Amino acid sequence: MSYIEFHDVVKRFGDNTVLDHISFGIEKGDLVTLLGPSGCGKSTLLRCLSGLEQVSEGSILLDGADITDVPASKRNIGMVFQQYSLFPNMNVEQNIAFGLKMQKVPQDVIDRKVREAIDMVELTGKEKAYPANLSGGQQQRAALARSIVTEPAVLLLDEPLSAIDAKLRRSLQARIREIQQELNLTTIFVTHDQDEAMVMSDVIQLFHAGRIEQAGTPVEVYTKPVSEFAASFIGSYNQLARDEFQAMTGASVPAGHVVAVRPETIAITADSPADVAGCHVVRGTVAGSTPRGNVLRYTVRVGAVTLRVDALFRSFHMFEPGQDVYLAIPEHDCLFIPAGALRDAA
Amino acid sequence: MSANAKAARNGRTTSLAAKIFLAIVALYLLVPFVTTFIYSLFVEWTDVLPSGFTLRNYIELFSNVTFWSSIGRTLVLCLVSVAITIVLLLLAMYVVVAVNRKLGRAMQFICMIPYALQGVILSIGIISLYTGTGTILSNRMVMLFGAYTILVLPYIYQGIRNALNAIDAEMLIQAAEMLGCGRFRAYVQVVLPNIISGILVSSLLAESIVFGDFVLANNIAGTNYQNIQVFLQANMDRSSGLSSAIVVIIFLVVGAVTATVLKLQSGTQKSKEE
Repeated sequence: MSYIEFHDVVKRFGDNTVLDHISFGIEKGDLVTLLGPSGCGKSTLLRCLSGLEQVSEGSILLDGADITDVPASKRNIGMVFQQYSLFPNMNVEQNIAFGLKMQKVPQDVIDRKVREAIDMVELTGKEKAYPANLSGGQQQRAALARSIVTEPAVLLLDEPLSAIDAKLRRSLQARIREIQQELNLTTIFVTHDQDEAMVMSDVIQLFHAGRIEQAGTPVEVYTKPVSEFAASFIGSYNQLARDEFQAMTGASVPAGHVVAVRPETIAITADSPADVAGCHVVRGTVAGSTPRGNVLRYTVRVGAVTLRVDALFRSFHMFEPGQDVYLAIPEHDCLFIPAGALRDAA
Repeated sequence: MSANAKAARNGRTTSLAAKIFLAIVALYLLVPFVTTFIYSLFVEWTDVLPSGFTLRNYIELFSNVTFWSSIGRTLVLCLVSVAITIVLLLLAMYVVVAVNRKLGRAMQFICMIPYALQGVILSIGIISLYTGTGTILSNRMVMLFGAYTILVLPYIYQGIRNALNAIDAEMLIQAAEMLGCGRFRAYVQVVLPNIISGILVSSLLAESIVFGDFVLANNIAGTNYQNIQVFLQANMDRSSGLSSAIVVIIFLVVGAVTATVLKLQSGTQKSKEE
């Protein structure tokens, strides 16, 4: 039995089914990410677990106890919201102490725990500051401290970093992960950012249209997408129709499947590569390139097909638009995925 | 001249222009008050120049018990009716924010109705509906307080609703709930302290409306519970100087109440910023 269990959970808003028979378990101490595009139901599931939304059907178990009908205030679940939701009339210290006061913890214990929580999220010196005088990152850290100081059974993070700039976001991702592991706190993290999910998670639950499309470790989800949706949402896979791939490489593809190839698995060279064992080698023409940090993404036309190819960004070794190139596509990186109705994720 | 110096000079010019504009507006708004005050200080003013200076109107007013009673009654009417409306609306808005958001539209519709009611229609409607019913509602005082409670409803509703929207009250209640706090307690401990400013500002507006009302007080209570406007009307025929003095004092009382509330509000704000 898992620490948290969702049994056939359905949530409807009027005629709109937002969660469609969701069932899965979460192990104690894991950080599980609910990943998916906007409107896929991930935040709704989080809110159902928190008690802020009632499920239409199904049940939720926490540590063996059915909490489906338990009020949010009685579930002992901490939550950090996207909008921080710090209480504007209270300073950092008072915000963090609020939950402990509700639990009627003695004042000396409150003082000690608040101090520890402030140290943990590195807000020392900001104890008396009001939310209006804090930056977005500081507010989010205060919200995190407020949620963990009560030692909740589960911590829920609802897109907590989406309003924070990229640099601070990376440092907060790392800090949240450190704190989660330090406290061995079962945590559910909602995000639509696949990079964030990869960095932070023990397990990713990939959501699509109210259902779980795929579940697994970040590496499993990244390297073995089970559907066209998963391939397009995770890792910017090139997706080729069966006919396209067969015409391009001459290899056969099982009927009813598409082929997914990650851009970084394709080698791009100016001359015909010497060692082509286990690779499909095709010729193409560079149509353009886009710098993406330390990677340069080329768009290469191979007949009627356009492929995305990632190469390390070396300024002395770049291909120009219009240049003819060779692409070596490893056979074992060509994944055959059952063809679905959806080709592009949000 | 550097770009920074130019920008600073432009900024100073804009600031000076803004001050001049505000001074002109303030002067314009003060003209009726100042002229009424000047008029109340003269004996007779039927010719080009007044015939003499006097404080007689003020001495007469300050020694008139009926005048003080009418001021007191008006303040009681303001405070009680505004307080009742605030309490009722806060409870109703709790239901909208924390229990059923869909009721918000119905609340808005109900609270906007008094905008469409003319004072005469409201007062005659209330009198014809409740007089002779034999219930507590047939009491003229209850009718008057009830009528003012309805009259100020839209103003206070808008103030409270805007303040609740500005702080995203629903989200704050949910955040408090996740920390083990019940919804109503969260509303009282977290939401209300953050909307006090909004409530104060809208209650000031409501208070000035009740203070300035003549129709409801005259039609429903008449001389039984004479407010300051009814007192003013009763004394208008006696002397224009006396009427002017009453108007000046109404201005000052409303101004004093407003200044006190704003002072309290800015004090709360300052202590929060420190």
